[in-house]
Amino acid sequence: MTTAVLDRSAPRQRVRQLTAAGVRGSVRGRLLPWAATMIATGGLLYAGTGAPATMLLAPVPVLVHETTRRLGAQAATIARLQEERTALATAVQARADELDLATRMLAARAQTMTSVIDAVTEQSIIGTDKDGVIRVWNPGAEKMLGLPRVDVVRKRSIVEFHVPEELESVAEDVGTAPGLAALVHAAQERGSDVRDWTYLAADGGRRTVAVAVTPRTDDRGVHAGWNFVGTDMTEARANEKMKDQFVSLISHELRTPLSSILGYLELVLDDEDETLSAEQRKYLTTVERNAHRLQRLVGDLLFTAQVEAGRFTLQPEDVDLAGVVRAAEETIRVTADAAGVEVGVEVPAGGLVVAGDAVRLGQACDNLVSNAVKFTPSGGRVTLALREVWQTPDGAVTAAERPGAVPVAQLSVQDTGMGIPAGEQGKLFTRFFRASTAQRNAVPGVGLGLTITKAITTAHGGTLDVVSAEGQGTTFTLTLPR
Amino acid sequence: MDDAGRALVDPSTPDTVRVLVADDEDDIRDLVCLAVAKAGCTVVRSLGDGAEALAAARAELPDLVVLDVSMPGATGLQVCEALRSDPATAGLRILLLSAGASSEDIARGLAAGADAYLPKPFGVAALVRQVRALTTGQPA
Repeated sequence: MTTAVLDRSAPRQRVRQLTAAGVRGSVRGRLLPWAATMIATGGLLYAGTGAPATMLLAPVPVLVHETTRRLGAQAATIARLQEERTALATAVQARADELDLATRMLAARAQTMTSVIDAVTEQSIIGTDKDGVIRVWNPGAEKMLGLPRVDVVRKRSIVEFHVPEELESVAEDVGTAPGLAALVHAAQERGSDVRDWTYLAADGGRRTVAVAVTPRTDDRGVHAGWNFVGTDMTEARANEKMKDQFVSLISHELRTPLSSILGYLELVLDDEDETLSAEQRKYLTTVERNAHRLQRLVGDLLFTAQVEAGRFTLQPEDVDLAGVVRAAEETIRVTADAAGVEVGVEVPAGGLVVAGDAVRLGQACDNLVSNAVKFTPSGGRVTLALREVWQTPDGAVTAAERPGAVPVAQLSVQDTGMGIPAGEQGKLFTRFFRASTAQRNAVPGVGLGLTITKAITTAHGGTLDVVSAEGQGTTFTLTLPR
Repeated sequence: MDDAGRALVDPSTPDTVRVLVADDEDDIRDLVCLAVAKAGCTVVRSLGDGAEALAAARAELPDLVVLDVSMPGATGLQVCEALRSDPATAGLRILLLSAGASSEDIARGLAAGADAYLPKPFGVAALVRQVRALTTGQPA
């Protein structure tokens, strides 16, 4: 059904064919009932001047101000969106600036790292990937191994700079494949490893290098390779060896004349047919005492040379530490009495047996007790206390057994002496080190006793700790597994 | 005493414990001879050279050979091994003396075949005890 619409608004009347759907389609709204009827019956719908098709529609309460409101809302939305766009653009710019700054900072940091690594000319810094292919090669490595970076990076493996036999030997010891696995095994197990390795230089020369091996991770924390920081110890090790050989030789050579001195003194002093005057006997006894002192020094020198050379062995057996402590007290008693130092002993009545070398443990105990007496002024006190205790993994000591604790024997040697300055306590176990308090007070010694005691303790799987306050006293605590 | 060695007593004297002493240090050698005498034994030869000591031991077949480790001609260890490898001298008692006092030194000495090893400096009384122990079979 069509309806003719006479539109008088047009310059010339024209009739349009409309349908109700067409009217509804051209204007939005509900058709007035009569208009709908007219359309349905095909009658003339309307002919008016300038009357739009919307006049056929029911009146809708949409007014100008509503349209304005809508427009306003849209304008507000547009304004908000514009604001948001502006804010977003500002944020993007800020992020871009931040990124730029970060990029520049990273570049600066990389430049700093590179310049620091490049400034290291006396130590080799070699970085590899997981397979040992070299990625970082600093001037120190160039100097040590005689190859420029360009010839090495991404072209050579770290393994090529190691002695194959050395890697094979380590691989055999630790049960890994030879090559990189042997080189990084310890660092893989413990997180880092420092030991001497032999590097092969480009000219075929061999260098003894103390190499610190550490794993390297990428920015996501994933294992990415290995770092090898090396210090050339070739000369230092040769000097150490020469020094130890010298000490060993001198000590060895001193023993022969000492044999003569002590042997003939013994003959004179013990000769029942020859009567010595009291004065002669006193002089010869002084000679003998000093010869024995020299003998101890020679023994200590030889022993430390053996420790340094790694040739120190123990003769293990069951040792009653209580007996060792009592013997040490007896040995020092005369000296302590003469020095006016009181020595107290507290040991378990039933003894305390550990597995160890009786001679060496006696030597360690003697050293601690002798030191305590030497460093304690007249009127002071030295206390030797031996306890049968338990030690937890964190080092705490308890009288009773606890889960996870291991049984230990603990000997503390406490004195009320001059003490050791805090800054020097870390060096106490270094060979030939003497505390400033010892030197100021002219306490005799050469600085070997504690080195030896520490070496003996360590060889027994024990620990040696010190607590000291200058002017108040010192306590050495020797802990041994039992 | 000279390095060529000389018999201090008649080697044919019966019922005496006969000891050969070898050390290149004159003072030590004399001291060892005194200790041997204190132990009630007789020094049959006293020498300062290892090779001469080996020849003298083969010739004299003493009850005890006291050897310094460090000697010209042959070391005490070499003399010791040579004596042990020869059936004629394999049964001789041998005491080694040395300035080497480490456990490795002692182990080397005993591995070479010594019956006892005494590190220097040693006391005369200790040496006398060792000589007596080795010649009588009693503990030192």
